[in-house]
Amino acid sequence: MKLEELQALERRYLMQTYRRAPVEFVRGEGARLWDSEGSEYLDFLAGISVCSVGHCNPAVVEAVREQAGRLMHVSNLFYTEPMVRLAERLSGSSLGGRVFLTNSGTEANECAIKIARKKAHLRGVENPEIVSFDRDFHGRTYGALAATPKLAENAALGPMLPGFRGVPFDNPGALRDAVYEETAAVLIEPIQGEAGIYPLSEETLLAARQACDETGALLIFDEIQTGVGRTGSLWAYEQTPVRPDLLTSAKALGGGLPIGACVAGEDLSEVLEAGDHGSTFAGNAVAAAAALAVLGIVDDPALLRQVRERGAAMREALLALDGVAEVRGRGLMLGVGLAAGLDAATVGADLLERGLIVNVPEPGTLRLLPPLTVDSAQADRAVALIGESLLSYSPA
Amino acid sequence: MSAEKRSRDKQPPASAAEAAQRLATIVDAAERAAANVIDEAEQQAQRQIEQAEERADRVVAERLRELADQLDPGGEGERRVTHLKPVEPVESAADTVARSGSAGARLLATQMAVSGADREEIEARLRAGFEIDDTSEILDAILGPKGES
Repeated sequence: MKLEELQALERRYLMQTYRRAPVEFVRGEGARLWDSEGSEYLDFLAGISVCSVGHCNPAVVEAVREQAGRLMHVSNLFYTEPMVRLAERLSGSSLGGRVFLTNSGTEANECAIKIARKKAHLRGVENPEIVSFDRDFHGRTYGALAATPKLAENAALGPMLPGFRGVPFDNPGALRDAVYEETAAVLIEPIQGEAGIYPLSEETLLAARQACDETGALLIFDEIQTGVGRTGSLWAYEQTPVRPDLLTSAKALGGGLPIGACVAGEDLSEVLEAGDHGSTFAGNAVAAAAALAVLGIVDDPALLRQVRERGAAMREALLALDGVAEVRGRGLMLGVGLAAGLDAATVGADLLERGLIVNVPEPGTLRLLPPLTVDSAQADRAVALIGESLLSYSPA
Repeated sequence: MSAEKRSRDKQPPASAAEAAQRLATIVDAAERAAANVIDEAEQQAQRQIEQAEERADRVVAERLRELADQLDPGGEGERRVTHLKPVEPVESAADTVARSGSAGARLLATQMAVSGADREEIEARLRAGFEIDDTSEILDAILGPKGES
């Protein structure tokens, strides 16, 4: 089928909620993709930080193939080993408490919001409130949406859930003012992803931890984009001076299959009880098997070190380019702030033409989220392509 | 009489060949039993290793929690009841970091060490984030004296 025909069918049968680039991908391997015309691309978006172990990683493919051939799904009315072993691995590698598995990141945040609200009710709070930062992105289901101030402004989707409050980004004073005894939780991204890769300062993280401890609110880290090795440690909080009470994960966790998780500290493990929450597909055996394979690859000090080193090398090389004003982020989660006058959307489209896939989360930023397994030659090639593109758009 | 019993009653007397066959079966069963004992012992050993690993994980988690707890001295000052009431002056960010800095720095260093960062990486983050000139005390406490880690 030709691309034009595919586009026509897409317009006819899919709700038009996305603006897609005019490319049909048909194959992937590691950090490379091939389109339907046989052209090769270097993928520095990885399905928005999903394919972190590379496209069609053999270990993940084999785990999926093996599990799919044996048992795919039985619902949460029964036991399956991949689900339980995944929960064990997630808990053991982070907060040590129980895990609720989900199908996506937004659902993981819904679970965290439920835990926070119930915990607040248990300590006598009548109208629990969730605090998050402006420009945070926590998802598109109604709870997560309400915690995403920018999207929650869309009146056409209202009314929004009550009990959510947005505060200016990375402002410790404003955060402390907003957190009080009715606050159920502070829900934050340690590094804002969709907004354009903006790390929270340690000062704000410490203020958040302290405000939560003083009021009984929970500190929730949305690690949907930062987690599973993206920043050079298995979880981003490991490189911060605080420890959250709850952690949510998704995206890279399934290596390309849909799965998410809400991980609790031990003292929050019993907040949700039978009947409080549930999901038909959550903990699906195939997705769980894929996630176990992903963690088997990523939870490796050598790979995590490589992520830190490769990220540092890329940052240095990018900063040396004409047209780059700053590089934000950590590990292989990089936001390239372009110099004034450069339009990131134009540069992004040009890079796609040149065979490099990046994302443009805001007008002045290129977002780079390559597979964690990207090699140094591919990283060098991506930087070179960005340099060439910027050069072609810079004022003479 | 059960069908099983009737079946047994109809079996012919055992010949020497059958006796040998039976003996082989018994030996085979004994070997399988021995193998099962070995398997069980291995499984038990594996369980003990896993339990030990879990205990080690809990110790690390507990250590991290203790350090996190140190961030909040607890019980100091009056707690705000509602944000709708006039808010007391917010202490400066510098005060916050100064008060929580040491414990925060130690937690950061511990978490980074657990996640596989080396001494130099941790030292660089401590210097950048907490403006600690002499990081050796924290690093030595977590990683051991330089040269031993």
